Amino acid sequence: MHMANELLSVPVAAGTCAIAAGGLGLICKAAKKVIASEKLALMGVLGAFVFAAQMVNFQLPAMPGTSGHIVGAVLLAVILGPHLGAIVISSVVIIQCLIFQDGGLLALGCNIINMGLVPAYIGFFLYIAIAAGPAGKWRSFAAALVACIFALEAGAVLVVIESVFSGVLLVPFSTFLITMVGVHFLVGLIEGMITAAVLAYIRQVRADIITACPAQRVKLTKPVFLITLAIAAFIIGAGISLFASQLPDGLEWSYAERPDQPEFESIVSNQDGIITATNELQDRFSLMPDYTRRSASLGTAAAADESAGTAWTSFAAVFGSILTMLFIWLTAVLIKGAR
Amino acid sequence: MHHAYIDKFAYQDSPVHRLDSRVKLVAVIVFTALVISVPRHSLSILVCYAVGPFAMLVIGGIPIRFTLKHIVIVSPFVLVLAASSVLYGKAPVAVEFGPFTVHTTTGWLQFFNILAKFVVTMLALIALVSTTRFAELLRGLEKLRVPKLLVVQLGFLYRYIFVLIDSVHHILRARAGRKLRYLGAKAELKTAGSMVGSLLIRSINTAERISMAMQARGFDGTFRTHSKMRITLKDYLFCAAACSFLLLIYLIIRPALI
Repeated sequence: MHMANELLSVPVAAGTCAIAAGGLGLICKAAKKVIASEKLALMGVLGAFVFAAQMVNFQLPAMPGTSGHIVGAVLLAVILGPHLGAIVISSVVIIQCLIFQDGGLLALGCNIINMGLVPAYIGFFLYIAIAAGPAGKWRSFAAALVACIFALEAGAVLVVIESVFSGVLLVPFSTFLITMVGVHFLVGLIEGMITAAVLAYIRQVRADIITACPAQRVKLTKPVFLITLAIAAFIIGAGISLFASQLPDGLEWSYAERPDQPEFESIVSNQDGIITATNELQDRFSLMPDYTRRSASLGTAAAADESAGTAWTSFAAVFGSILTMLFIWLTAVLIKGAR
Repeated sequence: MHHAYIDKFAYQDSPVHRLDSRVKLVAVIVFTALVISVPRHSLSILVCYAVGPFAMLVIGGIPIRFTLKHIVIVSPFVLVLAASSVLYGKAPVAVEFGPFTVHTTTGWLQFFNILAKFVVTMLALIALVSTTRFAELLRGLEKLRVPKLLVVQLGFLYRYIFVLIDSVHHILRARAGRKLRYLGAKAELKTAGSMVGSLLIRSINTAERISMAMQARGFDGTFRTHSKMRITLKDYLFCAAACSFLLLIYLIIRPALI
């Protein structure tokens, strides 16, 4: 569920980047007090471990040909505690973006929030809450399962919310939400099972790693637990209730009329409400809103009877650009040949 | 072992490689923001935007085929989502392009728009990463006030990814050698769990050894490197070129196209 640049609008990307940066900054500040320099290597190596662990795939039952692997946010949060877990997972997401090009540069904020910060905290607190005390085998299994499902679902719902706010995708909100929630329920289930299996193995082999008692790392008080549950419920619930109300909500009708732009005409005639609404949201916030006329060209879709002038402009622009690239490439080849 | 990692060209030398990492990073971020803000049905302007990263890649000596191959590898998620817009944008439009007129739907326009944005922003990102050593990028991030803890974390992470990937290859090969058929869900899960678990313990042991060794050599949480980050004339030149390229598109080409 790596978000890509193209699925976001600039204000959403900027907003989420700001939130992620602020969140990470705060966590780093909070973690600095806890962390000793010998922990640094451990965190780094565990981040690398996530990459390696993602390569361990296993065959899924009932679905020959597909295989699952671990994402690791909850596992790390349980082992390291939520602060350090969040930092490690965020760094994994950053490296995935920079080195492996998984997810866009501007979508990094979204990805850090969806896959790092939110799952780490939600997963950790849910796990601790359920597996509190001397956890039995089944209890910790259930805890891992629930924690993973909720953590991943929260991230998936956030993906949907972010892309709907960006208004780039045409997919109706409800369809998108149902697909994402459904898919991530399965993913969460698998993730939960393997997280539980890993934790069970570690408990057998080196129990000290886990039973370094989570309670010491973060004091789990009742309010903290309730707040976590509330946030998880809020994120998931907000998504689902938005869908349930079928969206003549505040967002839509506040933009439906557009008093600021009386001459506005939508380019597509049979749009439904949410798309128009998000469309306008995007127009409003895009770096250079096209207040100029919408005209016919490859640039914008419109009726064919518009002036042919822009059609030729876009033609020229495309071929000019391609020629420029050819020119640059040829020059480079010639220079290389001359050496 | 061989890894197909992206920054294998970062250790070459070229005018682009010699630029300051901060300048490149900021330029790529601004570029990406501008590309994303292109309206949902525009296509031709994206081709114009592609000139910038293309020039960086060519001057940096990065093979174009390698770049495109990499873009294809990471594209599935975007492809699926972009393809879904074809299903929902059924309004017919006639698109005029030079002498041609194509009858299509808004969904297709949007599909190609998302795809083109993806390719262009990926070109820019690859142009950044494959012309900048990761250590340099981290130094740049640190200078840009990214928290030191995070920068150190990224440094460690990057250093050990490939070590651990090697050891996971060993584990996978061992499983493949012993497990010759599908064992049933429970056994499969347990095996995978044990593999990940033993990998985790191995990683933790490695980390303990590393940190002991580093502390013995006086590591206190700061990486001290020799490189001095300094903005020089060539960086200003690059800035000027990038700014004039973006302004040219933004002020002259964009109003003409949209």
